Amino acid sequence: MADDALLPTPRRVLGHPELLARSRPRPDADAKLRGAAGYPTHRLRPGQLHGAVLGSPVPHARLVAIDTSAAQRIAGVRAVVTAAAISGPALYGLRHVDRPALCTDRVRCVGDPIAAVAADTAQTAQAALAAIRVTLEPLAVVDDAEAALAPTAARVHERGNLLHRVHYASADEAAWAAAEAACAHVVEGEYLSPRQMHVCLETEGGVAEPDGQGGLVLWWGCQNPERDRQVIAAMLCLPPERVRVVGSPVGGSYGAKDELTVQPIAALLAFRSGRSVRLHLSRPASTDLGVKRHPMRVRMRSGCDAQGRLLLHRVEILADTGAYATHGPEVLDAAVEHAVGPYAWTALAIEARLAYTNNGIAGAFRGFGAVQTQWALEQQIDRLARACGIDALAFRSRNLVAPDAPGPLGQEVVPSDGPRLALAQLSRLPIWLERGTVSDDDEGRYRYGLGVAMVHRSDGFGRGGPNGGKLALALASDGRIELRVSLTEMGQSLAESMKALAVRYLGCGEDDLRPVIGDSALAPDTGAAAASRSTSLLHRALSGAARDWIAALGEQAARHLEVAAGTLRFGPGGWSDLQGRPRLSLAELAEVLRTDLPHRVIHIEPEETPSPVPGSHWVFGACAAAARVRIDTWTGALQVQQLALASALGPVVSPMGLLGQMEGGALMGQGMATIERLPMRDARYLARNLDAYLVPTLADAPCAELHAIEDLMPGDTVGPRGAGEIAVNIAVPAVANAVSAAIGMPVERLPIDPDDLLDFLEREA
Amino acid sequence: MNPSTTIDVSLVVNDAPVVLHCEPSRRLLTVLREDLGLTGAKPGCGVGRCGACLVWLDGEPVNACLVMAYQTQGRAVTTIESVGASAASEPVRRALADCGAVQCGYCAPGLVMMMTHLHTRVPRPDAAQAAADLCGQLCRCTGYGGLQRAIGTLFPG
Repeated sequence: MADDALLPTPRRVLGHPELLARSRPRPDADAKLRGAAGYPTHRLRPGQLHGAVLGSPVPHARLVAIDTSAAQRIAGVRAVVTAAAISGPALYGLRHVDRPALCTDRVRCVGDPIAAVAADTAQTAQAALAAIRVTLEPLAVVDDAEAALAPTAARVHERGNLLHRVHYASADEAAWAAAEAACAHVVEGEYLSPRQMHVCLETEGGVAEPDGQGGLVLWWGCQNPERDRQVIAAMLCLPPERVRVVGSPVGGSYGAKDELTVQPIAALLAFRSGRSVRLHLSRPASTDLGVKRHPMRVRMRSGCDAQGRLLLHRVEILADTGAYATHGPEVLDAAVEHAVGPYAWTALAIEARLAYTNNGIAGAFRGFGAVQTQWALEQQIDRLARACGIDALAFRSRNLVAPDAPGPLGQEVVPSDGPRLALAQLSRLPIWLERGTVSDDDEGRYRYGLGVAMVHRSDGFGRGGPNGGKLALALASDGRIELRVSLTEMGQSLAESMKALAVRYLGCGEDDLRPVIGDSALAPDTGAAAASRSTSLLHRALSGAARDWIAALGEQAARHLEVAAGTLRFGPGGWSDLQGRPRLSLAELAEVLRTDLPHRVIHIEPEETPSPVPGSHWVFGACAAAARVRIDTWTGALQVQQLALASALGPVVSPMGLLGQMEGGALMGQGMATIERLPMRDARYLARNLDAYLVPTLADAPCAELHAIEDLMPGDTVGPRGAGEIAVNIAVPAVANAVSAAIGMPVERLPIDPDDLLDFLEREA
Repeated sequence: MNPSTTIDVSLVVNDAPVVLHCEPSRRLLTVLREDLGLTGAKPGCGVGRCGACLVWLDGEPVNACLVMAYQTQGRAVTTIESVGASAASEPVRRALADCGAVQCGYCAPGLVMMMTHLHTRVPRPDAAQAAADLCGQLCRCTGYGGLQRAIGTLFPG
């Protein structure tokens, strides 16, 4: 490879076999395998009421009247609520407060909640819903983002349909003209990213219950119990401390449960009825009301000189956020920032718009805005590499920004050599070294292709986001050290990461630590378990404060033993003297201090880029990948056979956790690239269950391998980068590029349709 | 049949005789969770596609969302609450835990039910057959890497 010399050699790499060898079963695996994990939706108790929600049957209408009198007269109906029952603020939202818990005067998408009931049985609840008379006056349906932004379009919200707009340019007109003039190759494409559905196997649900003292407890799988608590407390005009939210464990989220959906309704029903109410959406109802990945149309015009140096990159993004904002603006910001990639461009211009429509609701989804522009960018990069006659890896490596260069939008960022290291590692893997052996066989029936992709992606929220947080360290009365966070366990192996980091920074034994997770009553506000931030946040908190705290405990131990603190050493179980003889266990210290057990809240200050670029990020991780696909030229069937990932995310905290996040994220990305299709017509989902919306099965899983590069730049204080999302980001372009490599077809629309492959092959023949 | 009529259904659940009084429209999954407090079988889709509610009916795997309660008259239903505590599932649970086949865990009980059924079948299926039979168990978290490894250890050949 021509540019091998440019690539550094990673020093610390955990290959797939090493990751497996270091993996240990998750602490919660056995309970989950026995069916005893205790999800909030399983909190079924005798005497609970059954909640049910009446969603809008139409995508857009004025809500003229709701008559619930007949429903209220049905025996066994304990509460019927509409927006009129809400005493606090009618709307909630993250950046834009635009979403009603129950609709007031307008419905904006199919399934938009109009009313809800709580009844003795599920059948009675359904009968009550059927008895509610709703008068709707249909409004013009806005079912296309481009049409939504036309001056004459019907307004989904009074403020207009343009929810968010971003403009970024790095060059003036003269610099553009110079870059244009220097281009030897220019490629243009329009890339359509689909709505993707999260398909958490556990749909939205849980239990709301009065606490007997005028307050409320909500058991509900979510990503941010503290936020749920604040929204619900405000809605019910309760002080926040009167509402407790237990948000863990979660039967899958991937962003779907980051923002509230129907838990305010469950809370309202429990509050009005004075009874415990359970609510668990059916799969079709979850499809209607749950958020999706933002569909985007991404246009790119990119050019390079004859030597393959990238010069110009013009990007235009149009995204559809549906009826309510939720995370939409941040998703668009991420799409913009990641449209640049880890590449150096002379001239860069990005225009992005986000429109309200009546097409369901789009929101947070693992890969978060970035993936939609990354696969488009990586297609462009491959096309330019081919035009220059340079291999995909060499082309990328010669165009990476320097490790200490500014970030994608010119902002100051933490220096990172991740992209270079990831490409270097990929260049050493058999899948790349043996690329020449990928050839068509089986008498021409199958075509094979090897695709390469490179992404970097941000950690945490962008500038101005809720990047801070709090967590607590405490010595419990039984001598366990508790690490208390309001983050939730969604499968990402939070408890294991907490244990591993505690062992590293507190110096305690693994069993000395008790992770306390996901309960707003037991932990300070840690913020959302989202944006690949949990591991980094824990690392920052513990690397900063853990030693001080354990030293303070050591002083108390020394005081009790009447020795100098310097004569004790802390380790698993407690304190020993300098000869290693046990002196005082954690349990003994807890007994001594039982009336005043040590407890410290750690404040994590938001770490953000100092550059005034709204929404831009400070920390990036990187991943390179190669995918090998097989295309059946008779049927158009596409099979991803092999996927090799080289991640550069810093020190590995939990080997099994990392492997699982990367394997799982990759197949989710592969699903988006290949089979996950959620068509809409007239603002209605045409697939509402898993018989029509297909997700990958075991048969679709490729032979995957992960090589985790642990190297960081000298002086790096960030430590491990989050691994929760980046595999989604990398898998989509890797698969798309492999398809292009196999048959030469530019991929401009996902999921890749077998019919499109066959049409292309036919035209080619 | 009048949907509001209650019928009696006699069956055996996890080796214990049970008499249900339920509407004919009630599904086995609902009965297990609501009436018998057995929440190990999980609702995921209600149309037999995800496998999260898999139980054994007379020893054969079925999705409990697709079985009506009345269809269990005189038959034996076995759920994860029984199988998960049995020695028969121990190698399966250990392999799934060791190989990283569990994340959020919502699919895990169905997976254990199907895999234990395959692992105890005589003759034991080979890896390819086991993998084919496990395609009805959807997992959205793991990407099936852990499951592939667990199949490799449990179904050699």
